[in-house]
Amino acid sequence: MRELTFVEATLEALDSAMARDPSIFVVGEGIGERGGNFNTTVGLYDKYGPERLCDTPISERGFVGMCAGAAMTGTRPVVDFMFFDFILDAFGELVNQIAKMQYMSSGRLKMPILLRGAIGIGHSAATHHSGSYYPIFAHLPGFRVVVPSVPSDAKGLFATALQSDDPVLFLEHKSLLFNRGEVPEGEYTIPFGQARVAREGTDCTLVAIGSMVDKTLAACERLAEEGISCEVIDPRTIAPLDMETVLASVHKTGRLLIVDETFQPCGVGAEISAQVIDRGFDDLDAPIRRLNGAHVPTPYSPTLEEAIVPEAAEIEQSIRDLLAE
Amino acid sequence: MAYEVTMPRLGWTMEEGVFGEWLKQDGDEVQAGDLLFTVEGDKATQEVEVFEAGILHLPASAPAPGDVIPVGALLGYIVQAGESLPAEGGEALKPVPQEGQGTPGAQAGAAKSPGQAGPASRQGRGDGRGAPTVSPRARHVAEELGVDWTQLTGSGRTGRIVERDVRAAAEMQPVGVEVDASPVARRLAEEAGISLAALAAEKPGSRIQREDVEAAIAGRQQQTQEVEEGAELVPHSRIRQITALRMAESAHSTAPVTLTTEADATELVALRGQLKESYARRGLPVPSYNDIYLKLTAAALQEHPTLNASWRDDGLILHRDVHIGFAVESEQGLLAPVLRDAAAKSLRQIAAETASLIEGAHQGRLGNEAMQGGTFTITNLGMYGIDAFTPIINLPQAAILGIGRIVCKPAVHEGAVVPRQLVALSLTFDHRVVDGAPAARFLNTVREYVAEPVLWLTA
Repeated sequence: MRELTFVEATLEALDSAMARDPSIFVVGEGIGERGGNFNTTVGLYDKYGPERLCDTPISERGFVGMCAGAAMTGTRPVVDFMFFDFILDAFGELVNQIAKMQYMSSGRLKMPILLRGAIGIGHSAATHHSGSYYPIFAHLPGFRVVVPSVPSDAKGLFATALQSDDPVLFLEHKSLLFNRGEVPEGEYTIPFGQARVAREGTDCTLVAIGSMVDKTLAACERLAEEGISCEVIDPRTIAPLDMETVLASVHKTGRLLIVDETFQPCGVGAEISAQVIDRGFDDLDAPIRRLNGAHVPTPYSPTLEEAIVPEAAEIEQSIRDLLAE
Repeated sequence: MAYEVTMPRLGWTMEEGVFGEWLKQDGDEVQAGDLLFTVEGDKATQEVEVFEAGILHLPASAPAPGDVIPVGALLGYIVQAGESLPAEGGEALKPVPQEGQGTPGAQAGAAKSPGQAGPASRQGRGDGRGAPTVSPRARHVAEELGVDWTQLTGSGRTGRIVERDVRAAAEMQPVGVEVDASPVARRLAEEAGISLAALAAEKPGSRIQREDVEAAIAGRQQQTQEVEEGAELVPHSRIRQITALRMAESAHSTAPVTLTTEADATELVALRGQLKESYARRGLPVPSYNDIYLKLTAAALQEHPTLNASWRDDGLILHRDVHIGFAVESEQGLLAPVLRDAAAKSLRQIAAETASLIEGAHQGRLGNEAMQGGTFTITNLGMYGIDAFTPIINLPQAAILGIGRIVCKPAVHEGAVVPRQLVALSLTFDHRVVDGAPAARFLNTVREYVAEPVLWLTA
């Protein structure tokens, strides 16, 4: 099968949806002629023009608010934040209007807005350009939160996001954006709330999110040489969260490690672990472990930066520790 | 440990870079911050610095100026004096996984932040507290395999007994593994691929016979019955599943006996006519026949408390209060809301309460609470033209009263054949709970109460 980068995969989904649905338009900084800081809209300006690829000034709260209004009138705005960190400047609009509008209008108004941006630590992007923040949004009712890890999932989930009547946060890890992978031709969707079993195994279950999936798979590959069999689950969406797949896996393995680059306190790992204790307690053969990025602002220094993100060797060690429990 | 020098990602969108030249030579000592090599960009050549001090080692396959190298590919190593190199061979230029830094030399990650991956608490509680600690899963598996885990030594880090310890112990156990089965059963099971161990688990302590295996095969065939062409498979609703479960449990676990009799309902019909007129005139909810049956059955149950009872393996529960469930057909299926304290309530109260319960059942908004705690049940099929039938007991209750249609028939009344309103009554009772004679006496009281409403109206 042909290979595409992560960015090319979502671009393909966006392009075909825009060709079919004239109500889709993109708003953001540098997404017009420039084609997006991360090439997320390359070529679309020439095809669809300045009205549907609308460059904005640096005014997140303003253009997010306007897009919320546009979504309520039946269009499908795609807000491209470039770095996801900038979404924080529109937090009030997001939490108080976008997430609640369908509820407040008793479902009479829809909120088909797609909010995308690059997340994650890497390349010395420093503390204002390295955030992920998805646990914050998964905490709030109303949002769909998508964190894909491979190009083929990115395309299918992006297509689903473009059809959703709920607000969707589509978060793309910077270190994955230019990774290549096999991507099917043509249009297809992947439903939200359906995890992908990235590797099957019997000794322990690893839930890995976003950029941690590849690193975890690399760790498992090494452990496999010693006959250690790990199952890797990529939830793909944090909200909704597919707990059934996790519980079924823990039922099989009895051991669970959650690998997530974001901060540990009150995070996705805490939520998964609480639900497994609640619903799968009798399946557990060991304490549930979490491996997260350090709970600190992201440093600029490359060596410090590398030190705060879990790497394959560290994941491997955590798996060994868990199996020794 | 060897530090890997790789092709950096210099722009957000960079996938590969053109190698410029080495600014240090093989064997040179380098300091952190030294410029090590250059990469040719679109517009300018960029110098790349090194983050580790040591000696630069270039493998045989190190890139030459002008080579196009993927981001993350290995270019060379920084090693410490006296340090041996990882095996290189021809793999130096193989792109290493961008995230993993996954080569044998990359121990750096493991040493990085050991505290983070480590357990939250290193203090086990496997000692000084009597019984050893055991994981929930191990305890569960021990129960399944019949292993006494309190006698085991745990292999978990803190001495905790984990699944592998229990499984190892089960394998060591000499007895209990062999399933006791007749030779015929063994052969049948083998032919049909039925697990004898699974059957043994369902019937602990008894020998597996031919019938057990045949039942298992029949059960399996039922499971896999195919939907023939033109037929439709309607998935079970929740209510259908619950109804099926309850009915089957009742049918399999009770000893049901059904008694039937016919009651003269002429006066009851007259009473209902009177109620209809007087209540309607005052705008009150008119008691239905069902409400009247509820009231008179409650009065009869007070006189025959053995029918107002529940079975438990260790004894009978004789209920003080009379809570009567009554069957309601709703869109979702059969529901049995419960009228509480039926004996203590007036007919007028009962009419108001059942009206609201029935409305709730039809709108699908009855809570579990409204359907639990019944001590007896009434089911009325009169409106469908049915006379006698054999209702199924609503467990754990002792009996259920089935009521038929009221029909005008010639009957002998005060020595003459005259038209009378007659109704068939069917009482199914659990013979485990109550014997035939007391059940018959109860049904007779109900019959009398139908015939002479004044008896319970004035009670």
